[in-house]
Amino acid sequence: MKLCEFIRPASLAQARAALRKLGPKGMPLAGGTALHFMPGKAPVSAVDITGLGLSYIRQKGAFFEIGAATPLSDIQRHRGPRWAMHEICRRISTHQIRNVSTIGGNIARVFPWADLPVVLLAMNARLVIYSGKMKEMGADEYFSSQPARLFRGGDLLAAVKIPVLKAHHGFGSVKAARNAAAFSMVTIAALLELKDGKIADARVAAGSAIPFPKRLPSVEAALIGKEPSAEVFRAAAALAGADAKWCKQEGMSAEYVANLAEVSIVDALERAAEFARGRTA
Amino acid sequence: MKRHELAKHLKQVNHSVTKIDAMQLALGKDSYVADFLPKDALVIKMLWSPHAHARIKKMDVSRAEKMPGVKCVLWHGNVPRIVHCTAGQGYPEPSPYDTFMFDNKVRFVGDRVAAVAAETEEQALAALEAIKVEYEVLKPVFTLDEAMAPGAPVIHDEPEAHVPIPITYEPKKNLVAHVACEAGSFKKGMAEADFTFDQTYETPYAQHCPIEPYTSMAQITPAGRILITTSTQVPFHCRRIVARTLGIPVQKIRVVKPRIGGGFGCKQEILLEDVTAMMALRTGRPCLWRFDREETFRTGRTRHPFHIRLRAGVKKDGTITAIGLECINNTGAYGGHGLTVVSCSGGKTLPLYHCDNILFDGKSYYTNLPVGGAYRGFGATQAFFAIESLMDHMAEAIGMDPLKFRQINHIRPGEGSPIFQALGEGREGLPMTVGSNALGECIVQGAEAAGWEKRQDWRKKTGRYRRGIGMCCLMQGSSIPDIDMGAATIKINEDGSFNLNVGATDLGTGSDTVLAQIAAEELETTTDKMIVYSSDTDMTPFDVGAYASSTTYLSGEAVRKAAADAKRQILATGAEMLGLKPEEVHCEDAHVLNADGSKKVSYSDIANYSLYQKNQYQIIGTASHITKKSPPPFAAHFAEVEVDTLTGFVKVLNYVSTIDCGTAVNPTLCEGQTEGGTLNGISYALTEEYLFDETGKMQNASFADYHIYSMRDRPNIKAILVPSYEDTGPFGAKSVSEICINGPAPAIGNAIYNATGARLNEFPFTPEKVLKAIKAVKK
Repeated sequence: MKLCEFIRPASLAQARAALRKLGPKGMPLAGGTALHFMPGKAPVSAVDITGLGLSYIRQKGAFFEIGAATPLSDIQRHRGPRWAMHEICRRISTHQIRNVSTIGGNIARVFPWADLPVVLLAMNARLVIYSGKMKEMGADEYFSSQPARLFRGGDLLAAVKIPVLKAHHGFGSVKAARNAAAFSMVTIAALLELKDGKIADARVAAGSAIPFPKRLPSVEAALIGKEPSAEVFRAAAALAGADAKWCKQEGMSAEYVANLAEVSIVDALERAAEFARGRTA
Repeated sequence: MKRHELAKHLKQVNHSVTKIDAMQLALGKDSYVADFLPKDALVIKMLWSPHAHARIKKMDVSRAEKMPGVKCVLWHGNVPRIVHCTAGQGYPEPSPYDTFMFDNKVRFVGDRVAAVAAETEEQALAALEAIKVEYEVLKPVFTLDEAMAPGAPVIHDEPEAHVPIPITYEPKKNLVAHVACEAGSFKKGMAEADFTFDQTYETPYAQHCPIEPYTSMAQITPAGRILITTSTQVPFHCRRIVARTLGIPVQKIRVVKPRIGGGFGCKQEILLEDVTAMMALRTGRPCLWRFDREETFRTGRTRHPFHIRLRAGVKKDGTITAIGLECINNTGAYGGHGLTVVSCSGGKTLPLYHCDNILFDGKSYYTNLPVGGAYRGFGATQAFFAIESLMDHMAEAIGMDPLKFRQINHIRPGEGSPIFQALGEGREGLPMTVGSNALGECIVQGAEAAGWEKRQDWRKKTGRYRRGIGMCCLMQGSSIPDIDMGAATIKINEDGSFNLNVGATDLGTGSDTVLAQIAAEELETTTDKMIVYSSDTDMTPFDVGAYASSTTYLSGEAVRKAAADAKRQILATGAEMLGLKPEEVHCEDAHVLNADGSKKVSYSDIANYSLYQKNQYQIIGTASHITKKSPPPFAAHFAEVEVDTLTGFVKVLNYVSTIDCGTAVNPTLCEGQTEGGTLNGISYALTEEYLFDETGKMQNASFADYHIYSMRDRPNIKAILVPSYEDTGPFGAKSVSEICINGPAPAIGNAIYNATGARLNEFPFTPEKVLKAIKAVKK
């Protein structure tokens, strides 16, 4: 990618107008770390969205709202009641990159190894998109395919809304990577709602070892109504192959990756169950 | 005073003085090659081969030559065809001459095809795309089995390929080198054993990953000479090899090495300088060539992968009756270091343990894969994985603690080994007995720090996460005896400071500081009085360069001798000034004084007297040094790991690296070398690997996909310096830089076994391999 122009709009409306005008030659720019993975020589104009007030974390009602241009390091450092986002953010790349890389940049274009889409799918996050006015959509719809489709007219991701976990809800995530800064081999995130000692609801999502992050409905279905035990988790995890075709990577076979994914699902569920039973984040 | 305490009274040596370039680097001052780039410099980019093995049938650079900003295009049709060796080794090199600046044949994905020098990088890259190349793709050779097979494609079929010294080289069989020896009778030793073993091991490719990639700049001086400023470990070899490759006299070239951002052996190779020099000659402009990270992985040098067969026999009492080590290495498309690496796999390992019957056979073969080269610890790194894995295996068979098994077998001070003489580097080695040796103490101190006494048999361990402790012992060398040479000059200035000029090459190790400490100690002044200038072929004396763990031991002794020469002159002049005989005075704290200290004169006064006042002359000491032995540093390493038996992930919890490097000239720098090399070795053992596709192209040529450990991954590493005193080294010093990388693979492998019962004869210990081995144990 060849950046040939740098535009600094004063408002979201100006940014959207600039992007609409530029069409495919325009690109919103926040942390800029994804540029490394965008080869090509076509000249592109960057529209800087870092000065538009999109860097914040605040609790509004039943949601934590995170501005799209909030650096990952801010999310990592943030603490709030039953806040769980910091766990995955501290596992993403290096602290130098987390200081500039933003949540919006991580999910506006989904790379195969991305961790945040997995977490947001499991958490049933809501995504706020500016299209002249603010509109919301759920993570399931947003991540149903590459989100670029949502931004073609110059629309911009403005914020991510994370439900505040209730007392009987628990969240757990697992990222299996070769070393601290490596991309994930498998990322799993799980949200469990416990009621009367049983799993009332479950959202389980996977990424990295599959082409695009997704929920694992067979796993979820196998959990609902059951007691949150290791045996139940293992039985549910064993069904993951029905939802996801695990890919070989990093020189390791698809068979191994499938095993790793199943173990990671169990680990994520156990963490979620522990969280739901009273562990603080 | 005990021998290992001999260095305690020293005032400069054995003290952790601050690195003399620390402030310069911390402040980001211009230090590295690219910092000195003139504004009118051209940028060089290379067209690399997309094929592993192909002949260039036709090539057209005419469009590229006419592209905007392009000043020169080099290819095999317009450069001299002079066969040479890129390995920066002693001359004549113990490596084949099998390389041309450009050839009409390419031998690996990443081989040179054509180079462009242009005003900007974008223009150079655009010009590369305009070069038309027609290839005749040849059958590639990717494995050792394929390379050794009768009728295998011949990778070096050019008639010029030859070796400059009488060593085995059969390019028609893809054989780069063959060295073999036998001490005693291996067959007899195996017959005497109560237990015999026959195991095979595989060790992987690896990259040095210096943070400063290969970088070189050349420019034409007003006098018409070529000034090459380059990130090299071997400035003098660089000058010689570039002169040969361009067909010009050595006199025409000056090579300067500024600060270097790491080398670890990869910059012992002349991979850029011939092209930058030729581009400068053709254009008359300064020319910079800098590899990016992908080029560093694909085209830069690597660690040779080894296939090892290790046979051994042992008696029930722990006597090792026979060792048979067969090493075959894959040297890739070119053969630099092919012989020396495989020689070191025996020469730097087999003397470690008592054994009367030793058989060694080492071979090196070409393949159409990336090129092996010098890499910290070479040969020993690979062979110690096999030997130290088998030591544990043997200990278990006879029911002995593996630590005790090593204790009863390791070489002692005053002992020799026939291997020292049998395996040199390109020629026969020298007979040698070990002088200093604190390995026994290394084992004791390491075991205590690692908690060896709490180690339990793997069969007693249950649960998902299982912990284990493993160990290994190591030796290395200090310089190449009777081959390596270093030299130094030292002259006094009016204020009592000294210019210390050395050919030795500081590649970030701190050797400039260490050499200054040695000079200051000998001269009885302080290290801050030393102005060190190193690695400039016009201005400093010769030195072979930084490799083979030689700088402190070899160049350091040259410095000590030069300082002693200057000191002799200082004493003579000082005595003259005091009206005394030279034998009536001595040096102390930068003064010359008589026995009771009642008469004394400062170094500054002596300098002014000799330079300006009477019997005027320059006090200048000079010395060269060649070693007659290569005293091994010794080490014992201990790793504590935790293995996830459901996923195969291995986590190193604690690591103890003990090291007997003789006198630690600068203890902090020694600890830094040891910690850095250990972390490098841990990464090599666990996560580093070259992944190739079916065309021989490396698939993970970036730091995103090739996983090196950083400080984020650093386990608790405890470096323990265990002093000894080497009489032949400067103030008792040996070497420290290489040995530490050789321990983690066997120590972690042994720890995984201790945790789970899974024995892996191949690394890196990827989660999949570990899990597979664990499952095999369960069966």
